[in-house]
Amino acid sequence: MTITIGLPSKGRMKDDASAIFEKAGMKIVAVGNDRSYRGRVEGFEDVEIAFLSASEISREIGNGTVDFGVTGEDLVREGLADADARVEIAARLGFGRADVVVAVPEIWLDVETMADLGDVAAEFRARHGRRLAIATKYWRLTQQHFSGSHGIQLYRIVESLGATEGAPAAGQADIIVDITSTGSTLVANHLKVLSDGVILRSEACLVRARKPEHEGNATVAKIIEAVRGAV
Amino acid sequence: MPLIDMPDFAPAILEEFSRRNTTRVDTPVIQPAEPFLDMAGEDLRRRIFLTENERGESLCLRPEFTIPVCLRHIETATGTPKRYAYLGEVFRQRREGANEFYQAGLEDLGDTDAANADARIVADALACLQTVLPSHAFAVTIGDQAVFEAVVAALGLPVGWQRRLVRAFGQTDVLEAIIARLAKPEPVAGLSPEVERMLEAGDDAGLANHLRDEMERTGYLTNASRAPEEIVRRLKEKRLLAGASLDSAKLDALKEFLSINVSLRYAPGVLSDFARSAALPLEAAIAGFDARVAALRDAGASLADITWRAAFGRPLDYYTGLVFEVTVRGEHDVLIGGGRYDRMLTLLGAKDHIPAVGFSMWLDRIQKAKEAKR
Repeated sequence: MTITIGLPSKGRMKDDASAIFEKAGMKIVAVGNDRSYRGRVEGFEDVEIAFLSASEISREIGNGTVDFGVTGEDLVREGLADADARVEIAARLGFGRADVVVAVPEIWLDVETMADLGDVAAEFRARHGRRLAIATKYWRLTQQHFSGSHGIQLYRIVESLGATEGAPAAGQADIIVDITSTGSTLVANHLKVLSDGVILRSEACLVRARKPEHEGNATVAKIIEAVRGAV
Repeated sequence: MPLIDMPDFAPAILEEFSRRNTTRVDTPVIQPAEPFLDMAGEDLRRRIFLTENERGESLCLRPEFTIPVCLRHIETATGTPKRYAYLGEVFRQRREGANEFYQAGLEDLGDTDAANADARIVADALACLQTVLPSHAFAVTIGDQAVFEAVVAALGLPVGWQRRLVRAFGQTDVLEAIIARLAKPEPVAGLSPEVERMLEAGDDAGLANHLRDEMERTGYLTNASRAPEEIVRRLKEKRLLAGASLDSAKLDALKEFLSINVSLRYAPGVLSDFARSAALPLEAAIAGFDARVAALRDAGASLADITWRAAFGRPLDYYTGLVFEVTVRGEHDVLIGGGRYDRMLTLLGAKDHIPAVGFSMWLDRIQKAKEAKR
């Protein structure tokens, strides 16, 4: 059985992932030219590499079309329903660190916690004739945090696929749920993270699709062991 | 619409409905999604079937009837009181059971005698169910948001805390967390000395101007979201919240209230005993509760089959009073859910306040119960 590993096809994530695999004794070489989307691993005849766009990797793991993938935990948890039942986080890789957070305008002096936000959301409709609007690309994580963990039901999500942190100042949304690594973009846009507003501390992970045929497979066990040893 | 999979007892239910002074309505299966998401929140998104038209507007397959029936009532402006009946397919993503199934129900709009309208809707629900399942015994659970609100108000907490508790009503975990927090005060931190000084001095206008200047300086629109005055008002309210706590006697009273679970035959006595022993002024709420119990008795409902569970509620802001569920006795599947939603019609855009109460029957579960018996 051939084991397929999905890796980011470009950028910093691609370089960092390649470096980890090389350190793990699994040097990745492209098949054909450097821009090829297929690769192999030196010394591992039954492993192939598929270079994919970062956002597709979680979906492919969820479908089981690849056996492993390197991608951010945020994309896994956002992209897949019942993520823990469908995939296993085999190793945390120590790069691509970023938090998914709830951030509100700094000027909201009265809002420091999710409980405060719950108060604001509850009376928003009566004051403004509409529900509190949250700009985000993280639909699932937002719902889990707001309704699941904090009992806040009454808000609306405004889909934002880029420059999310600019939405409150521009009046497109009231608050945001977004990913931040240093927090500097939030500060530059006069936003603050709520004290209990960190939804997920994400980093790049080696993620395995839970497939029955992995049970007892020596290559699968070897890949996990090698990568764990390298981080 | 091909209705070959409609339960064979559907005509019997419609017959019951037609004997109850109702107008049968149907609504399109494809509905604008906005009103549902707006009323029930983003959580609903995962549970309905959404699509978009080519103008980018969200549409969904009808997930329930109450909202479309109410919207239709507002559009047609036919006046109240009015009783609507419906029977048709609804579509939801469910973990168990099919994604499309039949519901039937009544919506009673505009009757200002809440106790009578409540009793009538519960009695109607039970009578309709008995027609379909004549040899089953049922258990009805009722809850009452109005009584909970009265208890919370009588505890003497600041309005902000009352709202938090009322909002959590029906969600046990959230409510417990709030009650735990109420046992100890928590200060407001992180305000600049300038803001503290203006708060101390009660200089609301100055503080609002300060916030407005800050918003302009940082490039925030001052009219798009929360206004400076709103932030100031809530900041003051929050300082009150922060200082507030409940003494142990009142905390115990709140917990004791939430643990009440009693047959409706004894409920009025239990409620008035509770009010007396906790020394809480609940006269108006007790009067409303007792009037409903009396109306239920008059409507021929068997009080022995009805249980009042004080903590039973639904955490959506349009529910205001009665909620109820009907199961086969000893079973968990809810065959009928209902309640009073006095706030819904104005939220949906009605100009006048229209009191409303209704119920919905899950015909697929009723079918299952019928087959199980056979």
